[in-house]
Amino acid sequence: MENELSSLVVIFTEFYYWVTIVFMFFIHVGFCMYEVGASRYKSHMHTLMKNTMVIPLITVTFYLFSWWIYFAFVNGPWIIGDLVAAPHATPWSELMGAHMGGVPVQETLDGDTTAYWARINGVFWAAFLLFSWTAASIVSGAVIERIRPSAFWILAVLIGSVCWIIDAAWGWSWNGWMVQKLGYHDAYASGVIHAIAGGFALGVLLVLGPRIGKFSADGTPRNINPHSPWLVTIGLFMIYCGFWGFYVACNIPIIDVFGGDMLDIQDKQYFSATNIYLQPTTLSGITLNFLMSLSGGLMAAYYVSKGDAFWTYSGGLAGVIGASAGNDLYHPIQAMLIASFVVVIIYKMHYWVERKFKIDDAVGAVAVHGYAGFLGVVIAGFMLWGYPSSPFEGYAHITPWGNFAGAVIMFGVLGFIPAYVASKILNAMGMLRIPREIEMVGLDINLELEREIDAQQVRDAIRREA
Amino acid sequence: MATGMVDTWANSDVLGPIYPFVGMEGILAFVCIAFWLTWHIWQIRSENREFREDLEKIRQRGGVGRILDDESTLAQEEDSIQD
Repeated sequence: MENELSSLVVIFTEFYYWVTIVFMFFIHVGFCMYEVGASRYKSHMHTLMKNTMVIPLITVTFYLFSWWIYFAFVNGPWIIGDLVAAPHATPWSELMGAHMGGVPVQETLDGDTTAYWARINGVFWAAFLLFSWTAASIVSGAVIERIRPSAFWILAVLIGSVCWIIDAAWGWSWNGWMVQKLGYHDAYASGVIHAIAGGFALGVLLVLGPRIGKFSADGTPRNINPHSPWLVTIGLFMIYCGFWGFYVACNIPIIDVFGGDMLDIQDKQYFSATNIYLQPTTLSGITLNFLMSLSGGLMAAYYVSKGDAFWTYSGGLAGVIGASAGNDLYHPIQAMLIASFVVVIIYKMHYWVERKFKIDDAVGAVAVHGYAGFLGVVIAGFMLWGYPSSPFEGYAHITPWGNFAGAVIMFGVLGFIPAYVASKILNAMGMLRIPREIEMVGLDINLELEREIDAQQVRDAIRREA
Repeated sequence: MATGMVDTWANSDVLGPIYPFVGMEGILAFVCIAFWLTWHIWQIRSENREFREDLEKIRQRGGVGRILDDESTLAQEEDSIQD
């Protein structure tokens, strides 16, 4: 870095992503609180550990192969082109460690690549990684109290380190084939995180089946209420906090919009924040839309659920998710109205699917993330019809059919189908669901017995002292 | 003896990787894969053992029905204490 201004841009960008990572950690804290609150007392610790261990498992696998997938799979591969070389993103790359950006040792790297990625690679990697945790956490809540932790962790790696990052390569990068050919637009990840995770959760749930006692003999669903509404709602509040980091991480903080090969405009510079597609946007604009869509979601959910706290909070989240695909461009009142509409639909759909197909989605994840994300992408296709999907020449424009195809790919092709197939395999091997007796008495039965023995020993010791 | 490529910070502007044992990244990646997969295998075995022990404990305590009855009694006692 040769002068103060270029150093400032690079180090600001590095710091910017680092801050988003810290914020996004709150999402995982929130999901843990939320899930433990939603589960019954006798399965608390296993529920907590199930979600906690998502962190290391996806981190390690994301380091090993997911970061490379993001850059290598932008053409499919073999949909519109071959694998793309990504020497900065392989687990054996020197740029996947502390690096000052000087002369590279490895022959696969050149000086420009090294100088560019040395300071950005780790924080950019981590920002995407935190999205991966979120994708797996969304699924985690839906399957509580009956999935084997071992099976969930295999599925978590599949959604967090494989499926979602393929969809990011395809539809959430500046040169992904879906952006180029379909004009796919999903600025704040309605589809690429939420629809895919919701679709994935549905695929698992279909094979896993409901919790024992959820449905009566005639198929009528029973309410299995959260043991702690406080933990559930504070957890969701925490997810809102993390969502700020998520939104900000979806942007590139400062870039010359007329630079590189983008608009091919010579002798002109315009520095701005951009979305992931390198289209200019502002933090101010997305802040307006985030809060207005949150408000629309909360108000609609309060109305439709008649003030139910769980659904009101979830509706706030679903509102943001429903508007996220186009929240870089919507007017704030449009964002609010879209959020309200989406929340009413997904609330109705959740209960309709539960009754009709006997799907026991313990936290409403399929509705809040899956249906809301799917609808959000489809609505953005209509609302932003005719907008350029990219600053690059030759890319398709945004259309309803392009975004609809994208929503189907996210929810169905990369979400539902891999989850269904993987769950079927795990189920056939007897590895998917915990034994029936253990589910009935609770996963923490061994811990409860140990606690009883510990308490008895302490009582005996106190008696001897007395 | 030096484990890394840094022998002075005077050339910070041209330094590349600053972690020790540069050149072993491939081996480290292999170790990481082995660590990850071994953990899954250990965890699945551990979980199977845990569930076998849980099922045995359930039988020792008189079966699922008995445990659920005990829980109900305990919950009623706690409720009456709170009242």
